[in-house]
Amino acid sequence: MEADEAWRLTDRLQAEHGKGDPFAAAIRATRMAMVITDPRLPDNPIVFVNDAFLRMTGYDRTEVMGVNCRFLQGPGTDRGDVLSIREAIEGRRDIAVDLLNYRKDGTTFWNALYMSPVVNEAGELLYFFASQLDVTDRIDADLRIRTEKADVERQVAERTRELMQALEARTLLGHEVDHRVKNNLQVIASLLGMEARAMEDPRARLALRTMQERVEALGTVHKQLYQTADATRFDVAECARAIATDLVQASGRADIHLSLDTEAALFPAAKAQPVALMLNEVVREVLRPAIAAEGEGSLGLVTRPDGRDVRVEVMYDGTGSAEAPSGSGLVGRLIKSLSRQLDADVEWLPMGRGTRVTIRLPHGPAAEAASA
Amino acid sequence: MTPPLRIIVVEDETLILMQIEMLLEEAGHEVVGTAVTRDEAIALAVETRPDIAFVDLRLKDGSSGLEAARGMRGVAGLTVVFMTANARELPDDLDGAAAVIPKPFSESVFGAALPFLEECLRRPPPGSPPPQGVRLAPWYIERHGLVLPAGGA
Repeated sequence: MEADEAWRLTDRLQAEHGKGDPFAAAIRATRMAMVITDPRLPDNPIVFVNDAFLRMTGYDRTEVMGVNCRFLQGPGTDRGDVLSIREAIEGRRDIAVDLLNYRKDGTTFWNALYMSPVVNEAGELLYFFASQLDVTDRIDADLRIRTEKADVERQVAERTRELMQALEARTLLGHEVDHRVKNNLQVIASLLGMEARAMEDPRARLALRTMQERVEALGTVHKQLYQTADATRFDVAECARAIATDLVQASGRADIHLSLDTEAALFPAAKAQPVALMLNEVVREVLRPAIAAEGEGSLGLVTRPDGRDVRVEVMYDGTGSAEAPSGSGLVGRLIKSLSRQLDADVEWLPMGRGTRVTIRLPHGPAAEAASA
Repeated sequence: MTPPLRIIVVEDETLILMQIEMLLEEAGHEVVGTAVTRDEAIALAVETRPDIAFVDLRLKDGSSGLEAARGMRGVAGLTVVFMTANARELPDDLDGAAAVIPKPFSESVFGAALPFLEECLRRPPPGSPPPQGVRLAPWYIERHGLVLPAGGA
């Protein structure tokens, strides 16, 4: 009972700090609120409080002495925290917990409670010693940060949802426009086809057929652009194959065969339309004398990627040589203009029999591909 | 001489419908009817029991060609071929259809598809290779033991 005696002694000497037990005097004078309770008395009452505790809670010493500490709790106090404290007391363990407490005037403060059992050498429980620190500012700041963080997260989620919706709408619009472009190209080609059928004059019919084939070539390459997720590039080989197949089939000549030797060659989508039109004009020019002449033959098509450029060869090995189309005719002017637009080299090579045309399609500067 | 194929065309774009009718008739086939909505199409197929139905995916009044094709499943011996500018809307197995011809298609592509489909229907297995520009359903390729040309359609 020595410790018991020590603080009772200092209690008597409360106005004389530094006299009696210096530890008791220090506890009495510190700015840290401190309480001692006696678990051996009924309901574990307070047997000592220092002035800092009274200042923090707003009570008089007479109001709190002999009373259980639970008067500090209120409706906002977390029941789970209270339970933890009770378990610590029962288990004689120390505990640190931030607890919402109530002052005498009903206002609240966050109490960083640290409580530990005091035992004697025999292991008997004598007291509980508790220190309290008003950490309202820190908890409020924590709460504010948590609230702000939740708010920011909510705003980010909302904005993300808006952006996803906008992206979805844009994708839908893109598909819709793509669908209409394709349908319109089909309608234009079908109009030209029907008009050609109605023509009695073979020259007028041929002119309309030629126009129809040009529109179909544009349709072919447009269709290709949106077949893949990457709408920024298209495959020159696939485009050339489709155009050559169409034109050979349209010739109606079963003895004109198609010989394909194509290697995939990706090219900027911005160049898809002029490439398709130019290939269409070149292949048709190569086939024209062959269709006019009699006899079997084979239209050869070769495509090769060459670095970032693409090489295309169009050959015919049967009767019917095609000269380079005259620069004054529409076909010649089309090929020339499209070559200039694409910076392409088109060469008509003399052959003993048939025709051979080589086309070099330069990829162009990288910036152009990026903007395509 | 084999009798002409009996064909229905389900397409709400009048000009494209006219073009397809012309191409089919030029090739010697018989267009037994046309429809512009799902319900019309199903009723027409049940009534006429055609060999082939060419079906656009987007029909009049927003009805769906996919649903039209589903409604035609009960018609024995019917081959469905989709035509669409939105081939990506179709499932990989084409939902029971034999093929899809993506729009815009050239007259050559459409023209080449016809004898191929005719062979598949009348003289299987077909002697000619699958035409370019036409995407065949995996089950249809398997059934006819077809070998796709290099580079695909």
